[in-house]
Amino acid sequence: MSSIYFYLLFVLSSLFVLLNLASKALGSRRREHLAINAVILILILVDLLFLLMSGYSGLFAGVFSANPFSLFMASIFTAGLLLVNLIAFNYSENYVDFAVIGAFALIGMYVVSSSTSLITIFLGLELASIPMVFAILLSKKSIEAAAKLFIMASIAIAVISFAIVLVYGASSSFALRSYSQGTLIAFAGILFISAIGFEASIFPFNVLIPDVYSGSSAYVTAMLGGMNKKVGFAALIQILILVFIADKQLFIIVAILSVLTMTYGNIVALMQKNLKRMLAYSSISQAGYILIGIAAATPQGISASLFQIFSHMFLFIGLMAIVALLEKRNRAGIDDLIGLRSENSYLAIALAIFMLSLLGLPFTTGFIGKLLLFLSAINANLVWLAIIGIINSVISIFYYIRAISAAYTEKEGGRQIRTDKTIAAVVFICLFITIAFGIYPQPIIGLTNNAAAFLFHAAQHA
Amino acid sequence: MMAILIIFPLLAAMAGISLLKDYSKAKYVAIGGAVVSAVLLPLVSYGSNTFSWFAIGKLVINLTFSVTPLNLMLLALVSVIAILVLVYSSGYINSPLEQKRYYIEILAFQAAMSVFAVSGNFIVLFIAWEFLSLTSYLLIGFWNRHAAANRAARRALTIIFIGDLALLGSIIIFWHVFGTFGFAQILSSVASQTGIDTTIAVLLLLTAIFTKSAQFPFHEWLIDAMEGPTPVSAFLHSSTMVKAGVFVVILLYPLFLISGIRAIILVFGLATALISTLAATREMHIKKVIAYSTIQELSIMLVAVSSGAVLAAIYFFFVQSFYKALLFFSAGVITKSTGKEKLNEISGLRYNKLAYIATIFGALSLAGFIPFSGFFSNAEVSTALYSNFAVYAIMSGISILTSFYIIRWLSYGAKDTKNSAVQTRYMGLPGSMVYPMAALAVLTVAASAAFLYVGGFLNFGGYLAYLPIQASAYISITDGIFFTVLIAIGAVLSYNVYYRNCVKSGSKAFDRIIYTRQAMEFGYDLVSRVMYGLSAGIAEFDSYLNEGFDRIGRVTVRSGYGIRRFSVGNINSYALIFIIGVLVLFVSFYFLVVL
Repeated sequence: MSSIYFYLLFVLSSLFVLLNLASKALGSRRREHLAINAVILILILVDLLFLLMSGYSGLFAGVFSANPFSLFMASIFTAGLLLVNLIAFNYSENYVDFAVIGAFALIGMYVVSSSTSLITIFLGLELASIPMVFAILLSKKSIEAAAKLFIMASIAIAVISFAIVLVYGASSSFALRSYSQGTLIAFAGILFISAIGFEASIFPFNVLIPDVYSGSSAYVTAMLGGMNKKVGFAALIQILILVFIADKQLFIIVAILSVLTMTYGNIVALMQKNLKRMLAYSSISQAGYILIGIAAATPQGISASLFQIFSHMFLFIGLMAIVALLEKRNRAGIDDLIGLRSENSYLAIALAIFMLSLLGLPFTTGFIGKLLLFLSAINANLVWLAIIGIINSVISIFYYIRAISAAYTEKEGGRQIRTDKTIAAVVFICLFITIAFGIYPQPIIGLTNNAAAFLFHAAQHA
Repeated sequence: MMAILIIFPLLAAMAGISLLKDYSKAKYVAIGGAVVSAVLLPLVSYGSNTFSWFAIGKLVINLTFSVTPLNLMLLALVSVIAILVLVYSSGYINSPLEQKRYYIEILAFQAAMSVFAVSGNFIVLFIAWEFLSLTSYLLIGFWNRHAAANRAARRALTIIFIGDLALLGSIIIFWHVFGTFGFAQILSSVASQTGIDTTIAVLLLLTAIFTKSAQFPFHEWLIDAMEGPTPVSAFLHSSTMVKAGVFVVILLYPLFLISGIRAIILVFGLATALISTLAATREMHIKKVIAYSTIQELSIMLVAVSSGAVLAAIYFFFVQSFYKALLFFSAGVITKSTGKEKLNEISGLRYNKLAYIATIFGALSLAGFIPFSGFFSNAEVSTALYSNFAVYAIMSGISILTSFYIIRWLSYGAKDTKNSAVQTRYMGLPGSMVYPMAALAVLTVAASAAFLYVGGFLNFGGYLAYLPIQASAYISITDGIFFTVLIAIGAVLSYNVYYRNCVKSGSKAFDRIIYTRQAMEFGYDLVSRVMYGLSAGIAEFDSYLNEGFDRIGRVTVRSGYGIRRFSVGNINSYALIFIIGVLVLFVSFYFLVVL
């Protein structure tokens, strides 16, 4: 019975793309376009959640797999795109074009999440990332950022293709399963980490991320940092667990990359003056935390990483909604936050809670994520990694507090900022998720546990 | 009744205030919430409750709340002082627009502190600890129109958050070693786990405690914290929150028995006590003198605990709250009436009889005069420290200085004033400010009686069997007399210098003492030179220390600039870094395989 809902998913996704294109071709207005997008995304989300809750697993056309992992990732991407659409609706002059591009990227994300072979992961990654180049181009100011992203993405494509070729050369197979160990396979693993490291903003493959994030409009940044980066992690987790779980050295490399990534992100974030750039570096450091759980290479660690992915996606999109609103008023700097409390106390509180959650305040998802990550590292005998993670959190205090403190500093002559309804809604949803699942995280942890257990089960029985 | 339930009236009051249209009603709702919470207090039953919060695999994260006599004491202390502080605030905070925010923040703090008081495992402890930091930050920066308040709040929060993360680190290592977060389980197996891991965890825990309880080298934030409203200083930064660190040391006493740790606490405690006492004799800001004195008292508690005098420390912990809150209330009354914060600019407290007498009670209790509770707490500590001569000698010196600086503080406020506007303002102080002071003054005396019962109370039910608590508190007669003589010397000295106007100018106080006897003059001169030299030296050192913190920040920032250079370049350098990254991974992988 449930398989009908699974097939319905394909119908809905196709419809989603087609309707987007048709609506663009027929020249419908922004409001109508948003309505179409919102309705169909909600339908897909409901369908996904239904499948997720009923514990469905199945295979379509031999390549698309529905399982706890893919359904979980697909659900959060769908929710993410819905929120990004709401931000873009208010702040993009070309909202309709953006929505069409977003629809293609979302399909790419689905493909990555539900792959059963390296080829589909590769295709999905490209489908998710190349449209973003055009999304950035929608704003005339951002040509440079788009060009940079495009060139680096091409290099990443080259590297990942080469990695797949190595695997195929060694074993004549594209399947996502563990292969007999050998130098070629191990080298392929390194190339995978590098290429996907670009998507997932892992140091040193991420150096252009801050340029791109700060050079794009806030809603594009919300999508890049909130979703595209997470797709990278979805691919990385699947490849590392399903293919390379036996290569312990690779996981040591992941641990080292984790340290480098979070330290780089945190230290450079310290002296950023531009809010969006600071958040870009902060999201790099969060990528480093996510890697802690992957480095642990245990179901617990993967579950923790998935929780952190979930948590950071909503935090980042919520923050970007606020940034979008401020940017429209030409207030891009951290110092421009001064007076926010008196201008709009709702936004100031939201900003503070998002940042405190990134910092790890209890009763927010950020705390649960960090706690789980550090505990999983300890469980996997990576005490040093947990300690470095905590030291990094200490560094991050300085820049988050600076921003919060600026928002809570009074300014003479500040005028009220009116929040647009859609922005208020996005911020509210993100706040609600941050706090509700920070107080009662068990539902999400149940899902991430299942997802992680599925991956490890598949790794052992493939 | 489960202890955690008593925070619900507070939460309800917070919700009520946030829904209020009329800001002037906020204080009544707040006081109502605090009173209901206090009324529920006698219903709290001993024992512990555990709830599972969430689970990941086999790892279950529990929330444990535990009530022992020790927890109950702190809970009661918080409830009682909260009511008095709220009543006092209703007279003190009269800027209309900020009332709602103020009362919500105070109640949030009280809720966090109550949860802290009944925490039974590290998870609850950490959550409460973090919310204490946060509410403290909000309340220090309450006057956020002042740049100074913002700066102070940010500095305080930075130091405090460093401690919070140290706490998180220690919790995770404890979990690694003991496999549990529960206090009871950890304490029962601590004797068999004395490896290096445990020591590191305890050291991290100690870092957290030192930051929260403002011990050297983290003590400066408490002085900055005086930028907050005075009722906040009375509540958070003297009588409750800052004692959280000391409370943890007492609660988890067996953890600190690991060799070397007690010596560290003792040394840092003594150092902090000396630094803060000397600073207090020199400080001219009305609140900062009492803040230094708070730091000193926290050190004394830590010194007592580290010397095994747990009962003395707990009793000190208990009675200190009353007179310290009282003195801050006095400071608030004085600042409000005179509009000044420098000691040499304030005077005329005598025009409000009740406040004046209450203040004298507080000051005498702090100095340690019999029959105020300060005498019993101080004398009990010094009795307990008698066996260690060096510590005893230092503590004796500190006793003299303590009564010296607090009488100095009192003398300035007590002087007569000719300014009739100030006189009127003193006389017109609202009852909501003066009566809480009277209540606290009564409590400073009444708490003396607790001296007889504290041992029995804590031993009740055997919940605290793991602590070395005697059946009853004890003061040796000789120590009591010796202590009284010491503080009398300090007090007389100070009274002559500062109150009887034997001094012409505040700046070179002792040099200008006019006193009949040549020898005395010489003695004073010597003492003054030594003391000023010492405290100047300490001040110098302090500023070095502060600069040190700044410098660490600057170095980190500068390294940030260095790294940033990498990522402002053009696309070529990005591609280059990418390729280099791949190559480095290959090389490191090769080494990993070979090794």
